[in-house]
Amino acid sequence: MKWPTSKLGYTAAGMTVVVAMLVPFLLFGLFTKGFTKLGLRVDEMYSGGPTVRTIQADGYTVTIHKAVYPHLLQTEKPFVQLDWKPVNALPQHVSDAVDVDGDGQPDVRVSFDVPKDPKTPLRVDVDALNPRYQAMRNVGKQKFSELIVRVDDAILVRVPLTGR
Amino acid sequence: MADPACTAFAGKTPPRSWGRALLLTLPIALWSLFMSLRGLLQPDRSLQIASALTAAFLIALFFMMMKTSSTYRWRRWFFVALGVLFPIEFIHNVMVLRGSMGIPIEEMIAGRTPFCFLPIPLLILPAALTKTLVFPGSLLPGGGMAGAGMAAMAGLWLAITLVVGKGWCSYACFFGGIEEGMAALPKKAHWKKLDPRLRLVPWAVLLAMVLLSLALFEPAYCMWLCPFKAVSEYVAARNTVGMVQNGIFVVLFAALVIVLPLLTKKRTQCTFLCPFGAFQSIFNKTSVFDIKIDRTVCSPCVLCQKSCPTMSLTDESIKKGETLMSCMKCGACVDACPKGAAVWHIRGTQVAVKPERARLMFLYAAWAMAAMFGGTIITQDLATILQRVI
Repeated sequence: MKWPTSKLGYTAAGMTVVVAMLVPFLLFGLFTKGFTKLGLRVDEMYSGGPTVRTIQADGYTVTIHKAVYPHLLQTEKPFVQLDWKPVNALPQHVSDAVDVDGDGQPDVRVSFDVPKDPKTPLRVDVDALNPRYQAMRNVGKQKFSELIVRVDDAILVRVPLTGR
Repeated sequence: MADPACTAFAGKTPPRSWGRALLLTLPIALWSLFMSLRGLLQPDRSLQIASALTAAFLIALFFMMMKTSSTYRWRRWFFVALGVLFPIEFIHNVMVLRGSMGIPIEEMIAGRTPFCFLPIPLLILPAALTKTLVFPGSLLPGGGMAGAGMAAMAGLWLAITLVVGKGWCSYACFFGGIEEGMAALPKKAHWKKLDPRLRLVPWAVLLAMVLLSLALFEPAYCMWLCPFKAVSEYVAARNTVGMVQNGIFVVLFAALVIVLPLLTKKRTQCTFLCPFGAFQSIFNKTSVFDIKIDRTVCSPCVLCQKSCPTMSLTDESIKKGETLMSCMKCGACVDACPKGAAVWHIRGTQVAVKPERARLMFLYAAWAMAAMFGGTIITQDLATILQRVI
């Protein structure tokens, strides 16, 4: 009894051709919107985590992000990201004591030079004023969890946490 | 009146008349012109020329498929053009934007890593368990090389997969054309004895990469094994590990995409490594189109087996009258079979009854996707080259 399955097969094949015609006008957009509505987010190891608060400084701001912790066997350390922006409002040398956890006490002192040429590699020193944060000396951008980089109009510093 | 080419028969489909071939090409010609309209209406002269050339190229190839009733050799021209032009334009763009093929860490943090389809299977488990995408790109357009974002690429992949299933590897993948081109160069294969068990390696790589990506929360295949990093971009080496990773990309590209296809006339990267291809094989089970071997006319001469670029036909599968699930519907076996025993087929229908109808329906769907996706990429690539030349 091949007739009904044949008919089903040809119907499905015809529908496939119709679906192909609908891809650029309907399905591509529909599926793309569907993916955006799944509530997915890029791993915080890359994005730096959500913003917790912003500190106003002299003509610029320091944005503090929520601490990011590695998943499972991820080889990076836990860290907190601090953004200095806008870059053109920063002094030639930044040395800020930052209250990261919001308890009114400075937790780290972050020092770096701001070169005029955006392609010049950045280096950062971090003094830990709270044992929860790890000190860094002359660090560039070797690891996601301890770095200083320029991204668009901001200078990002990631300070590793000690776990204490 | 039934098309004589679509009636039950044993033997090859005869070539068509010019008029009939033109008539059958008409829908794809209109579709290709419609797809190229956006480029044709732009003020940029390079883009106009590139759009016209691409549309003409795609229409001419489809016409030849209709005229000669063979698929593989004409599809291969499109696929090789896509595979060769894509890296040229991509490398040109990254060099213009960044001056290097190495993606710096700040671009990854900014979510501007270009997202191709290869990591899609690696992202599913972390996304399902933690709602996290373990890729340094943007979900939506993120500027720079991020293109339209991960959601658009995933949406496009899902839509095209719905239509062609594993046919993605023959009509949409913008990397496979390089090795297909290499495999086409020698007249004969120098290495003919390939261990069939090697076909299982992509499944092992898929399993290992999915688990590693979940454990390490990074796209493990992109970080360690993707040969196409050698002709697109790679994480800028910041330490010894990075240099080892980049060395692996180059060695795998040279071996699996250049040397082995030349020696074996097979798509060796697709057959022996690609985890995305293995993942895509699953969608062969959901596709309505497949290839069958008509046992009533099969000798068996195994020419189909020899011609298959992905070793998707074995003695056992030929005896069963079917291909393995890794078949990417390129049509090489159908074209190679002197008796017309290898045929296009629609699930649910009788084997070798109106196989040309099955081929036509598949080709309309697949070529529409090829014109939409690959055609757009070829247009952009040609436009970039023309901008440099004109």
